[in-house]
Amino acid sequence: MLYALMGLGLSLITGVLNIPNFAHGALFAVGAYFLVSVVGLLGNFWLGLLIAPIGVAILGLLIEFAGIRRLYAAGHDYQLLFTFGLALILNELIIVIWGPVGISHLPPAILRGGVDLGFTFYPKYRLFVMAMAGLLVVATWLFLEKTRYGAIMRAGIENKEMVSLLGIDIHKLFTLAFALGAYLAGIAGALTAPIRGLSPGMGVDMLGIAFVVVALGGLGNLLGAIAAGLIIGIAQAVVAAYWTEASTAVIFAVMAAVLLVRPQGLFGIR
Amino acid sequence: MRALTLLIAAIVLLPLAVRPAIASEIWIFAIFGLGLNLLLGYTGLLSFGQSTFFGSAAYVAGYLLKYYAIGIPLALGVGAGIGALSALLVGYLCVQRSGLYFIMLTFALNQLFYFIAYQWTSVTGGEDGMPGIPRPALFGVDLRDALHYYVLVSALFLLALWLMKRIVESPLGSILQAIRENEVRADALGYNAPRFRLAAFVIGGAFSGAAGVLYAMLFGIVPLEAIGFVFSGNVVFATLIGGSGSLYGPIIGSFVFIWLSESMSVMWARWPLLLGVAFVIVVLFFRGGVVEAWSRIWRFSKRTA
Repeated sequence: MLYALMGLGLSLITGVLNIPNFAHGALFAVGAYFLVSVVGLLGNFWLGLLIAPIGVAILGLLIEFAGIRRLYAAGHDYQLLFTFGLALILNELIIVIWGPVGISHLPPAILRGGVDLGFTFYPKYRLFVMAMAGLLVVATWLFLEKTRYGAIMRAGIENKEMVSLLGIDIHKLFTLAFALGAYLAGIAGALTAPIRGLSPGMGVDMLGIAFVVVALGGLGNLLGAIAAGLIIGIAQAVVAAYWTEASTAVIFAVMAAVLLVRPQGLFGIR
Repeated sequence: MRALTLLIAAIVLLPLAVRPAIASEIWIFAIFGLGLNLLLGYTGLLSFGQSTFFGSAAYVAGYLLKYYAIGIPLALGVGAGIGALSALLVGYLCVQRSGLYFIMLTFALNQLFYFIAYQWTSVTGGEDGMPGIPRPALFGVDLRDALHYYVLVSALFLLALWLMKRIVESPLGSILQAIRENEVRADALGYNAPRFRLAAFVIGGAFSGAAGVLYAMLFGIVPLEAIGFVFSGNVVFATLIGGSGSLYGPIIGSFVFIWLSESMSVMWARWPLLLGVAFVIVVLFFRGGVVEAWSRIWRFSKRTA
């Protein structure tokens, strides 16, 4: 489910803005570290979960406004270099601010321990994350599908010129899409923190997975990203049960295998 | 011709200015950049996974050098071969697509190779890297001497440059540029664009592979970073700041990049932060790279003169 969140946000950004966002993983990591800091300051996990992703969204707003906005006319090469530079900066800032050593972060008291599901014993927090991520995915989907802004955003993926010809400020749309993508990355990071702990490298690992999800789902295909996120998550979990070392590599192997058969991705039309 | 004179002058003067190891690193990185530039500058393909070929070649050739004591010519041949082979595998999956898709796929497959190297500790050493790569003697010359090795590296660099010049000026080079300019038209003329892109990819991979082997022998180790995505990003950066449109762009870029990273890394342990800032500044203010900036200044001074 977390992969679906990451993929959805990245798919939104790549689809609407048409840029390769290599800072997406870094935004994910920043979300996790924000959570730890907010919880440390306020002592409340729920407030942290609320505030941290909003902080990431604001960071995303600033990034779009100060940099990416000036690069729409430039080639992908410069956009890539810019977001890659950003990823380096954010990653190093994390080390400078929070230190190079991994941090472990416990879930809130009510979500500790496990639940007996009859056939298996499952940690409560993981169930919470699944529910939370599922809720967010559905909410995002409803936003995109049922609201006016969502319709504009989907139209922006299809045809940018047409949207701006209809008198809609396309730049505002771009900023909004980037902020929303950043928000989704941030909350995915915040939710992950109590499961896997935090380390400066967490963003890069996630970035690769997010790209796989987008590539499998089809570029700009939001439902495809959600489905691909689920498939990848399940594939990884299954492999991890039998051969832990290969669980990360298998994600990329799955992608390679699928692309051999369907170069446009599982759900890609183009 | 003037460029060649300048280059040879640079090759001779460089070891006087910096340590031979850094001087060697510059030319190795330039070979790496030449390979990418065939894709980026001449074919219009932005590959964000060049370290796949660099690193794979370094690991395989390094392994053979270490355990089977092969000679340098064979090591370089194996390196270029592995680079080409891995590029063939990756390229086969990627060349059908272009634009954003291509970038993402090259990156994702780079991650695949990275995680294999990371987990396969019994061979690659995982996070610690693969140490103890020897530098065998060549024609009786002891290459353990840093300066001797520098001579070999710069000679190979000139060879690589000459090869690349021949390639881009050949009919193949023209077709690649035609595909870059207008793929539909090249297709209509009967050129199978994906196949030619794949050819460019494989050639670029061979150059990266050779550079990877030289890198491994230079430092005596294959670090895990050699196959990591930051390395792929660095070579893109070096090529872009040099100016990707020209044959000499990546050479200048490699100078600037190695110089930048070497001087930053002694300043502060967190130097990638400064590097990231440099990326952002270049993108926002100096698009077009050094070669372009230079020609702008040159044109300007000619007009005023």
